[in-house]
Amino acid sequence: MKKLMTILASCCIATSVLASEAELETVKVGNDVQTLARGADALMTNCHSCHSLKYIKYSDLVAMGVDKSKVDAWRGDQPMSAALLAQMPEDAAIQSFGKAPPDLSLMAKARDGGVNYVYSYLVGYYVSPEGVTGNHYYPPTKMPDILGISTAAGETQRSEIHNTARDIVSFMSWAADPHAQERIRLGYYVIAYLIVLTTLLYLVKKRVWSKLK
Amino acid sequence: MKTKIINWIDKRFPLTSFVEHDLTGYPTPRNLSYWWNFGFLAGFVLVLQVATGIFLAMHYKADVQMSFDSIQHIMRDVNYGWLLRYMHAMGASAFFFVIFVHMARTLYYGSYRAPRELLWWTGQGLLLLLMATAFMGYLLPWGQMSFWGATVITNLFRATPFIGDQVVVWLRGDYTVGDATLTRFFSLHYLFPFIIIGAVVVHLVALHTVKSSNPSGIDLAAKDNIPFHPYFTIKDLYGLGLFLILYSVFVFFIPDSLIEPANNIPANPMMTPNHIVPEWYFLPFYAILRSVPSLVGGVVAMAVSVIIFAFMPYLDRSRIPGGARYRPIYRLQFYLFLADMLVLGYVGYVPPTSQTIVIGQVATLCYFASFLVIPFISRMEERWLVKRGLPPAVMSLMESESQQKSKNGGKQ
Repeated sequence: MKKLMTILASCCIATSVLASEAELETVKVGNDVQTLARGADALMTNCHSCHSLKYIKYSDLVAMGVDKSKVDAWRGDQPMSAALLAQMPEDAAIQSFGKAPPDLSLMAKARDGGVNYVYSYLVGYYVSPEGVTGNHYYPPTKMPDILGISTAAGETQRSEIHNTARDIVSFMSWAADPHAQERIRLGYYVIAYLIVLTTLLYLVKKRVWSKLK
Repeated sequence: MKTKIINWIDKRFPLTSFVEHDLTGYPTPRNLSYWWNFGFLAGFVLVLQVATGIFLAMHYKADVQMSFDSIQHIMRDVNYGWLLRYMHAMGASAFFFVIFVHMARTLYYGSYRAPRELLWWTGQGLLLLLMATAFMGYLLPWGQMSFWGATVITNLFRATPFIGDQVVVWLRGDYTVGDATLTRFFSLHYLFPFIIIGAVVVHLVALHTVKSSNPSGIDLAAKDNIPFHPYFTIKDLYGLGLFLILYSVFVFFIPDSLIEPANNIPANPMMTPNHIVPEWYFLPFYAILRSVPSLVGGVVAMAVSVIIFAFMPYLDRSRIPGGARYRPIYRLQFYLFLADMLVLGYVGYVPPTSQTIVIGQVATLCYFASFLVIPFISRMEERWLVKRGLPPAVMSLMESESQQKSKNGGKQ
């Protein structure tokens, strides 16, 4: 028993050590059409030149609620059914940054910390005293500080950048799981149905078993 | 008309006697608690996995170039494909959860005792088949964790004496995990559930021969047995409702909670993830594997840690029936063992540090020790409890069992 207590105690210590290592900023993603459309806009402006979203088609954006004229402007002469491939060819990106920029379709789910990680990363740039730009959350990053948080002057600009980052992350969260809202809506119905069904089954069970007494 | 048809069938197939023997007349102890619901639940989850799996296979492509994309195709484009996939992925976890509870109940109440050894062993075989199926299924999404998990685990077969390297290549179909591995894992992942169904039939035949154990551990008099149908069909259905509510919470609200983030990155043989973790249901065994410094030792320890359950009918030498119910020391041991499993699971999950390695090694020792001390403790506990006094029903059962044994012993 004593041995067990020691083990459990050391487990608790280990957990607290791990928890202090990565302190991500938390973000509450929006899933209303306005936020998602703003996020799509910001992503197309800031990220899409280098990053692809290969599992998202232009038609998906229209179906989600982005203005069709905007989508038409983004896709140019590509068909509606085309995937959102990066504007920059991969070879050119590797030449400029040293590695291919990752696809963003699943990014909101593909890192420990999920959306919080992506959000923290986007607003995690800083300029060191030596004048070098770095990132707190992913130091080896090759991506420039695209939203300009490290050089932002004043609180208004900083909070604007935070809002943009939140919009982008919200959009990426939608892109990673476009059926999430439908899933949750359906979930309430399914569970409500199951609760009614289980209650009825319980009553039948009670009735059947009452014959035994 | 109805009786005519049934008579016609009964002359050619034992339908009525089957229903009578295994359902409407199958004697079941009336004192079974809800812990006895989990066998039925396991059967239900098996059907669920087969059903969702068949539909997933209609849209899935087993090809290193296409499988990751085909999962996204299922998640985004196939009608309710996301539902099928999440039900299947969560179903795997549900399966292990249900099986672990089922096993824990068997251990707690001593249901593995004579005459139910074969029932317990067929269950052990089912566990191994389930583990193999789950492991192969995990490769199919072809994410980073799929690839590296399969690489690490197939690599363990290097520990086979003399022909280790050949065995690894034979399993993978290539020198590394690749297209050949993916296609064969897909094929076998489709085959194994049907072998499991066959093994479940054997498990049930064994069950219906020796009948269910019950919380008292005493074989009940005929008046305490009630027919399976309708009493336990309705009880199982009610339990199923409760289970489905919990399962739906996972499927609809937190379906990504048990999927490693790294598995949303396509497999990349050139880039190892920061740390490779198996699915939660393998964590305790994975921790045992990592706790032994040598490869061969680790593999042997891991294999033994799974197989050792089969020896329970011989390790437990107490003649007191009912498992932990009448045995306070065995009960304490049972809970300590569960706690040890949780510690091992935690150690298997976190990246190894010098601290967790030591914890893992201590927990591994505790794991094996808790089996190896059972023969001695169970005997000592029995002497102590008999001296202290046991319920008369238990005492008389012990006496009749020992008489039976000496009679049979003479025959052998």
